[in-house]
Amino acid sequence: MASTASTGSRWPSWINISARELLLIIGVIVITAGISIGSHGNFWNDSNLTNLMINTAITLVPAIGMTVIILTGGIDVSVGSMLGLVAVAGGTAFEHGVGLAAATPVFLVAGAILGFVNGALITYGRVPPVIATLGTLSVYRAAAFIFLGNHWITMIPPSVTQAMVLTQPLGIPIAVWIALVLIALCMVFLARLPRGRHIFAIGNNENAARLNGIPVERIKLAAYTLTGVLVGVAALMSLGHSPMVQTTTGTGFELTVIAAVVLGGTELTGGRGSLLGTLLGAILVGLVQNGVVLLHIQPFWSGVVLGVIILVSVGSATVRRAAD
Amino acid sequence: MASFELRGVGKRFGGVRALDNIDIRFESGRVHALLGENGAGKSTLIKILTGAIMPTTGEIRVDEATVVIDTPRRAQELGIAAVYQEPTVYPHMTVLENLFMGQELRGTAGMLDKRAMIAAATPLLERLRLEPSILARRMSSLSIGYQQLVLITQALLRDTRLLIFDEPTSILSREETARLFQIIGELREAGTAIVYITHRMEEIHQIADEVTVLTNGQRRGTYPIDEISTEQMLSLMTGGHGSARDRDIPPAEAGTERPPMLEVEHLTVDGYCEDISWQLPAGCVTGLYGLVGSGRSETALAIYGHTQPSAGTIKLDGETIRPRHPAQAIQLGLGYLPEDRQFQGVFLDKSLEQNLTSNALPGFSKAFDLLDLAGMRRFTTDLMKRYNIKAPDADTPIGALSGGNQQKGLFSRWANLPLKALILDEPTRGIDIGAKEEIHRFVRHLADRGMAVGVISSDLDEVLAVSDRIIVMREGHIADTFEHGPFSAETVLAAAIGSSSSADGRRAQTAEENA
Repeated sequence: MASTASTGSRWPSWINISARELLLIIGVIVITAGISIGSHGNFWNDSNLTNLMINTAITLVPAIGMTVIILTGGIDVSVGSMLGLVAVAGGTAFEHGVGLAAATPVFLVAGAILGFVNGALITYGRVPPVIATLGTLSVYRAAAFIFLGNHWITMIPPSVTQAMVLTQPLGIPIAVWIALVLIALCMVFLARLPRGRHIFAIGNNENAARLNGIPVERIKLAAYTLTGVLVGVAALMSLGHSPMVQTTTGTGFELTVIAAVVLGGTELTGGRGSLLGTLLGAILVGLVQNGVVLLHIQPFWSGVVLGVIILVSVGSATVRRAAD
Repeated sequence: MASFELRGVGKRFGGVRALDNIDIRFESGRVHALLGENGAGKSTLIKILTGAIMPTTGEIRVDEATVVIDTPRRAQELGIAAVYQEPTVYPHMTVLENLFMGQELRGTAGMLDKRAMIAAATPLLERLRLEPSILARRMSSLSIGYQQLVLITQALLRDTRLLIFDEPTSILSREETARLFQIIGELREAGTAIVYITHRMEEIHQIADEVTVLTNGQRRGTYPIDEISTEQMLSLMTGGHGSARDRDIPPAEAGTERPPMLEVEHLTVDGYCEDISWQLPAGCVTGLYGLVGSGRSETALAIYGHTQPSAGTIKLDGETIRPRHPAQAIQLGLGYLPEDRQFQGVFLDKSLEQNLTSNALPGFSKAFDLLDLAGMRRFTTDLMKRYNIKAPDADTPIGALSGGNQQKGLFSRWANLPLKALILDEPTRGIDIGAKEEIHRFVRHLADRGMAVGVISSDLDEVLAVSDRIIVMREGHIADTFEHGPFSAETVLAAAIGSSSSADGRRAQTAEENA
């Protein structure tokens, strides 16, 4: 199912819906229908919808960066710990009475630094991405423990929740608008700017990219740093959603993010994938997690579902490659 | 008139001299063929021209001005491009994207200007007689031949003035080859300087204006194509082998009198070799010569059980065998020393002792299957002495030793097993001359002990020096067999290259590395 070339398509070339994405849209509709029937109308009430949208946005924002990383042939398994450590940094700022406007850069810069460290290890340290970020997954989590100890940060100003969640232009929370704007920008970037195509090129054939004069290392470093910044954005959103930081904040989050990307059809071997797929993947993952709660299924089942999603997606990609 | 010139260019890799004092000049509107065996220095020369590596000595001049080509980018700026044997492409991206990667045309707000790129590519596509619709296709949906044409288009887009073809026809069909030659002819007319690398003699007279012969990193001579015959080229290519031909001739018919130990009948490995029948007699060293990609290693790997042949029988000491995996082959008495020492042969970070005992472990288990550590140490020091492996002690990681000592270690491991037949694949590649001679001596000892030994090598000197008899393979078939010496370097090489212009059709595709 090669994503057909854009010639003759009614869509602008950067939308370019593939068979897989169509399948995901159908999946979203079917699961939505299933949950709304099974939950006796609890699905469609306002607080659940807001909840679902915010959770999806929190997954989606780092998933944008993760998509770029995976397109280059890399991966970042540290985003859960990164989210935790950024939340500790930003939360500490809030505890010291810093307001939302002044604290926002703290979130972004902290995320950028952590992402940059990942990228530097991988590009200049020549550590394989899985190993490098597995290491920082552990280090960033430990750092959160060292800073926070048994302490919980609960003094998150209400303005955060107000800004991210309660302000809802056109019935959609600001956090969700932020996610949509970010993904739209990145879609244009990937499809229409030379740098965007270079990202695909690196995942297709890193050596050829180097021979064509593409700055492979710099682009990879930027991809990991960008993901760090986006994790910072997600951390701020998540504090608006549940105003509390503890040492375990963000644990397991990497699995959610990677599942959304992989489910969206981006191949872990790099060079092939789309942000539209990631958007749909994030929605589907959000629905699954929401449905597990509404249908009173034991919460650990959502872990099973995410794991199976990753395995099936990767497996189907392997089958597809064999068929090529 | 563009010109590209190497003056006194040399390149050393450690102690190995890959190129030595090369003077060569490429001019626009000329097809300059480079001819040489594997390892003659052709690849090194391309890498220097395309900025992949820097020469150790000498200078490069473009249009009579000295230049330094320190990056691929710089080579591109100078108008130098190469089309490699296996196209280097972005498989999941479109042809248009492949063409302009790294040199995109931008429109408003720095965005990709697809229309302008299509407009720029279209006339070039017409020149190569490609349909404009190819631009929207994914690269992976094209055949290798078309991928090559896309790369040529890319080179033209980038104002390439020196285009290097590295054995471009080795993976092309006959029709694709004919089309490629036509295109090369047109490029020449248009004033491009072309370097054409091949070891197919018949192609050279078809396409080249002049030819340079390289052997062992040295230039043997450059000739206008109508002033040199195929026979003269062959004799130049073998010119460096004089000493080997003068060695002591083994007793006549040494090979034929001995009973066959390993026999292969009608062996076929899909895509690599077809209907191979040969035998290795006991007590005799059989050289298996051929160019890279002729199917020698693939034949050996199938015999050894690493891959499964699709047809044919294998007999060891008169009994039909069909090893499912290498461990079974070793048990049956059949060994294979792999060609790629680093990846297939040794455990680099493990000690010499662990490496030398790794396939002899059952011999060291005592009560309760515990290993006899003292015995292993005695065994290792004994091998080190017998095979002159120079290492501080048995605990030294094998990766810390020189290539020659690594190879001697690996060799000793195999030599010490109770084998009936052993095939050595490129046993001395990349090691120094001293270790090489030692290994040749050890190979002789093995045969004297009654083992059937096969030596696969792309090094003609080596084959001539160690073999009692020589089997030559070409393009997945047996080209010729020389049952006894004296061997003539020209004849053996001619059989491998197929200079009787019989080498046509589709060559067996191979994953073997491009040496």
